[in-house]
Amino acid sequence: MTKTDEALGFAAEFDTPVGYMARIRAYYLALGYDNPYRWAHYASVPFTALAKPLNRSRIALVTTAAPYQPGKGDQGPGATYNASAKFYAVYSGDSAGDPDLRISHVGYDRLHTTAEDINSYLPLVQLRAAATRGRIGSVAQHFHGAPTNRSQVTTIEQDCPDILARIREDQADAAIIVAN
Amino acid sequence: MSLVARYLEENGIPSVVMGCAKDIVEHCGVPRFVFSDFPLGNAAGRPNDPQSQADTLELALRVLETAPGPRTTVQSRQRWRDDAQWKLDFSNLDRLSPEEIAKRRADFDVQKEIARKKRQNSHAAE
Repeated sequence: MTKTDEALGFAAEFDTPVGYMARIRAYYLALGYDNPYRWAHYASVPFTALAKPLNRSRIALVTTAAPYQPGKGDQGPGATYNASAKFYAVYSGDSAGDPDLRISHVGYDRLHTTAEDINSYLPLVQLRAAATRGRIGSVAQHFHGAPTNRSQVTTIEQDCPDILARIREDQADAAIIVAN
Repeated sequence: MSLVARYLEENGIPSVVMGCAKDIVEHCGVPRFVFSDFPLGNAAGRPNDPQSQADTLELALRVLETAPGPRTTVQSRQRWRDDAQWKLDFSNLDRLSPEEIAKRRADFDVQKEIARKKRQNSHAAE
């Protein structure tokens, strides 16, 4: 950091959002995989406004976390990447329950976090608290798990319609989608 | 997850994505996005910090209510820590020895094979 940076209170040059696409592309090329991943990319983006105020809306939660599966290897906290814990179909759970969901099957930052606290990747407890204090109307009866490991075609043609149908069945008005 | 957000929105369900990978989510393009500049895996807030988690969810709810249009990104004001060195570590080749890269490739090959077999079995079951 230069003297001027310090005088002006500038942050370090590298202190920006991590460029994961460039980082991951270079990483897998170096590992010998020469077929780089093509991230989904669109020029236009849909938008639907809330139909009613949040305090009268039913909110659904969608997660990429996986149900803990005994016998499928170490799933954390602190587990190394575990492809055995992956899942291939949308699942739903009771939003009033206390689900045991893990993220050992995805590429989170294992050096700087351990996934020891489910509430850092699944805001279910906080969402219920928001309903209790009237910030939202209610939490939809089910939360939904979205597979992350198949082709984008499968996601769009199979998983997305499946999640939409489940959200509609619960008559939810809006969704919070948590990526890992 | 960005694809799910887009699909729901196209079908009349407003959504907000909570995430830590700003470039990937914005590259896809989603209606509403709350970005936490935290290590991947903490999209709902800091571990063992209910206040951080409550604040992150509240920000998502506010974005759900107030976004003026698609591609609305709001960055959480929370900092993972004062020192941003953690940002230099993730999958950074500059920080890995050739031996470590070779080891990671071997490990990843094993995981890829496990995933391939699981995928095949799930197709067979359909």
